[in-house]
Amino acid sequence: MTRERTAARLSRLLGMLPWVIAHPGAEVAEVCSRFGYTRDELARDLAAVFVSGLPGYGPGDLMVAYIDGDEVVVDLADYFARPVRLTAAEGLALLAAGMALESSGAAPEALRSAVAKLAAVLVPDDGTLAVDLPPPPDLADTLSRAAEEGEVVRLVYTSLGRGETTVREVAPWRVFSTLGNWYLSGYCRLAGGERVFRLDRIREARPTGERFAPPAEPPPATVRYAPGADDVAAVICLGPGAEWVGEYYPVEVLPPQEGRPVVRFTAPDAAVVGRLLVRLGSRARLLEGPEAAAAAADLRARLRRRYGAA
Amino acid sequence: MIERLLNLLAFLLSAGRPVTADEIRYTVAGYGQEGDDAFRRTFERDKDLLRRLGVPLRLAPTDLWEVEQGYVLRGEEYALPDPGLTDEERAALWLAAQVVRAGGQAPDQEVLFKLGGLPPMFGGAALGADLGAAPRELAGLFEAVTEAREVAFAYKGKSRRVQPYGLVHRRGHWYLVGPQRGDPEARAFRVDRLSELQVGSRPGAFTRPRGFRAAAVVPDAPWEAGEATTEVTVRFDPEIAWWARRQLGREAALTEEPGGALVARFPVAAVEAFVGWMVGFEDGAEVLHPPEVRRALLDHVGLP
Repeated sequence: MTRERTAARLSRLLGMLPWVIAHPGAEVAEVCSRFGYTRDELARDLAAVFVSGLPGYGPGDLMVAYIDGDEVVVDLADYFARPVRLTAAEGLALLAAGMALESSGAAPEALRSAVAKLAAVLVPDDGTLAVDLPPPPDLADTLSRAAEEGEVVRLVYTSLGRGETTVREVAPWRVFSTLGNWYLSGYCRLAGGERVFRLDRIREARPTGERFAPPAEPPPATVRYAPGADDVAAVICLGPGAEWVGEYYPVEVLPPQEGRPVVRFTAPDAAVVGRLLVRLGSRARLLEGPEAAAAAADLRARLRRRYGAA
Repeated sequence: MIERLLNLLAFLLSAGRPVTADEIRYTVAGYGQEGDDAFRRTFERDKDLLRRLGVPLRLAPTDLWEVEQGYVLRGEEYALPDPGLTDEERAALWLAAQVVRAGGQAPDQEVLFKLGGLPPMFGGAALGADLGAAPRELAGLFEAVTEAREVAFAYKGKSRRVQPYGLVHRRGHWYLVGPQRGDPEARAFRVDRLSELQVGSRPGAFTRPRGFRAAAVVPDAPWEAGEATTEVTVRFDPEIAWWARRQLGREAALTEEPGGALVARFPVAAVEAFVGWMVGFEDGAEVLHPPEVRRALLDHVGLP
């Protein structure tokens, strides 16, 4: 635990020193706000710097660091004039985040230039790394503006499972993209709880003019699939031409059978699994999942009726 | 403890040559008073802590005869080249890192300390994204890409040697892109499906072709590929007409019928992919024309 604290303290210190060195006369208030210090913590870290330095450890070997009125003074610490390089994970996380927003067309100019500058010091050339989000649908604009301004919206929404259309009032929190689709998260008054809506299933969205207080910390932008009690699962063996299912959906990969990939596909409604099975046709084989089999048979029958072939 | 770490870093950075553990023990303030075992433990933990912060501490021979190994920290490897960010750019980058997460994870604030701290904040964003969980191997692969080191891993039951040209994120997944040994063609490997990753020891082991774009190697979804061949006519029922309208491309010719149903005429590239797409509308839509596409859909559905 103390190790963790020391690591955190050192990492902040090794970021603060270069900044102060590059900005002589830096004010205490600004250093504190940039690096999240209280004045006391800053004084304590500078005191540690003051008694450290090079072997000999006499005047001229030790670094100079103290608070002088409103100013932070650092001297004789030129070996700490640059911050520690980013680790691969840090560099990638920042670049990927920036490039993702860029690809969605939602990036401000400052982000574009920041990504370009960071990429220039981190990757060989601009063909190396690509992070694509699907383009946000038209509604994304209306909804993210409502979320920013804290305005309740009225949605006409068709559920993915049963195809039911409902009208609901939602306090929108965030518009986000994951697994190739765009979503809206928010508090749904009809459901009486937090819900996530797929944007392409929102038929209409109208701001109501009513304000709400946005949550201090909106939940993270994710629809990580957490299986529920009523979920329907199907174990499917993917034949040639159906491998994309394993790439496209958040499936569980099971041991292959006869050299073919096998996945467990889970959804909150049997209709979703049924549609997938009908779509795959002879390219996939259902190994387990009676509800899914029934849903697929029902859909096939309805389709044949529609085409007058029943 | 923090003083000892600062002393160690200062010593290594100004030494500019490999120094042995013994030299560190007797020269750097903070280590001297400990016994052999205690020193070794403390020093191990310190090295570990520094490496986790990204300090590239390496072992190297201290002399030409390679009798002894020492620790070396080169300034040019230690220091982050200055990207020259403005405060507005720092804020934009930080905000992006907050809203675009990897499997729900936002990066630690520490990364921002390296880039000049957190500037006065500008407005928050109501737009976000989740890139999906970052597979464990991702950081190592990124390093291999940036340093042009070969990698070896197991993938779909075979071991592969690949020159990693790039990384691509698409539809929620990360792909490693590059040619396998003995095959000039670059291909894509899903990062979360590869295992037993080993990264080659030699940087600069290959040269990426000029103008190579990793994104071009990752295939699009099957239903998006191909050239337009057949024109189809589809009727969408009133209840789902809005949804169809939203998905149809610009090239679709649309007619709205009096009851609200939508009739669309548009070119289809791959009939099978089109049939799959039609299934998504269940029995709320019907192919009117041409007969062979109707037939194809029925055949597809007729299968048990």
